[in-house]
Amino acid sequence: MANETQHVRLRGLSHVFTDGREPLHVLDDVSMDVPHGQFTSIIGPSGCGKSTLLRIVGGLLAPSAGSVRIDGAPPRDAQRRHDIGIVFQEPALLPWRTVAGNVRLPLEIDGARRRGTEAESLLNLVGLSEFRDYYPHQLSGGMAQRVAIARALAVDPTLLLMDEPFGALDEITRTAMRYELLRIWASQAKAAARKTVLFVTHSITEAIVMSDRIIVINGRPGRVVADTAVELPRPRTQEIERSAPFLDYADHLRGLLDGAAA
Amino acid sequence: MNGRLSSILRGVAVYGLPPAIAFAVVIGLWEAYVAWRDVSILVVPAPSDVWERFFDDPGYFWEQGWWTLYEATLGLIAGSAVAITLAVIMAHSRPVERGLLPLAIAMKVTPLVAIAPVLIIIFGFGTTPKIFLAALLCFFPMLVNALIGFRDVDSGALEFMRSLRASPWSVFWKLRVPSSLPYLFSALRITYPLALVGAVIAEWFTGNRGLGFVVYSAAQNLRTPELFSAIAVLAVIGVVINIALSLLERRVLFWHESVRSTR
Repeated sequence: MANETQHVRLRGLSHVFTDGREPLHVLDDVSMDVPHGQFTSIIGPSGCGKSTLLRIVGGLLAPSAGSVRIDGAPPRDAQRRHDIGIVFQEPALLPWRTVAGNVRLPLEIDGARRRGTEAESLLNLVGLSEFRDYYPHQLSGGMAQRVAIARALAVDPTLLLMDEPFGALDEITRTAMRYELLRIWASQAKAAARKTVLFVTHSITEAIVMSDRIIVINGRPGRVVADTAVELPRPRTQEIERSAPFLDYADHLRGLLDGAAA
Repeated sequence: MNGRLSSILRGVAVYGLPPAIAFAVVIGLWEAYVAWRDVSILVVPAPSDVWERFFDDPGYFWEQGWWTLYEATLGLIAGSAVAITLAVIMAHSRPVERGLLPLAIAMKVTPLVAIAPVLIIIFGFGTTPKIFLAALLCFFPMLVNALIGFRDVDSGALEFMRSLRASPWSVFWKLRVPSSLPYLFSALRITYPLALVGAVIAEWFTGNRGLGFVVYSAAQNLRTPELFSAIAVLAVIGVVINIALSLLERRVLFWHESVRSTR
């Protein structure tokens, strides 16, 4: 079947939060296919349901309607295989564990059948080897977020879900972290072995610089209003942010986000 | 080394000296007042009388204090063990929480010291009623703090573990238990003194040993210097417990902002 090549397959996803005083309809009829190894950004204004979408894909929230398939199976199968890595806006590290201890946490969780990557090499990858014995309160926001990325990579998942991972960082750190994440993502020798990334953001620059593809969600409830391929050469460096094609993409996305704003 | 020593001395001077002076002033005023108004020793003894009585036989007071501390500590351990066990169950089951919390609150609003005589009827005059009363007084604050502590986990860390399908068992040991430690320590600061209260009250009614017994029998016989000596020993025990808990907290909760902010 053709859809076996799709890593993530969403069909008719809708979600209504019913725990508030009034039911809150956040997502409406969202469908998409994400192939293996693709870096996909989901962009939209605050409150469009993009974080909810990511939590549904990660199996942390059951959708009100529609289906999620990861490699053809429900998210809980991927969870069981330890095949999902999640990074949130806040690093959410365990403050009583060292940097290395935090990175090792996923490997201590029972049922880990897949072979993990050693904390040592992960900390190398994110450039924090000298800080392995530090505690989270001794780290800057950017360093803590790098630990969170290393922790998500510890089980060597094929699917990486990132919910505005740089949203809480200052602008300078944020820019550096973008290219850092790209470097980490591209560090796999073969392009075929690259992780599929679903990257939620509300930064247009971030979405263009990082992604193969940008999905724009807008409105309340959020719907997919555009699905654009980003055909900029890789590896990408910060110069790209001043190139003509970049500016064209940015104009295009800005139009979509303004025009559809409810 | 020299620097460390001088910084310790400076710490003692900055934090130890003001309370020491305050304490000396209070004692001095007390002594002066008793001398000035010629207060009868049967009503209020001068600090010097208390001092004299205490050092007449300090071993006696420490021994009685030791009993009280022993009973309070066993009560604290028993009460905390039951409270923490129930909190674990309640943290994982809303129906159990709904069933037990009203009972626990009913227990809390009852002045538990009033049941001390009942405990003596049930358990006799040994250590059991003292441990039991101390345990009862400790129970509620520990239950509530442990329950909040087990629930108050970082939602991101919890979702991260859930995304790897961590079992409730590993979420409990790796996330809930360490997260609850700051709450358990604040509970201990409340419950250890309460355990002492429980032990002392139970000793009043049984009259064989412990500082509660000393206080009671000294009051009955108007031996006020003895009475105040016993109270002073209780105060010292309370202060020592507090210092010990602070030191332990600093070691265990080095990562928590409550400890970091005091450094």
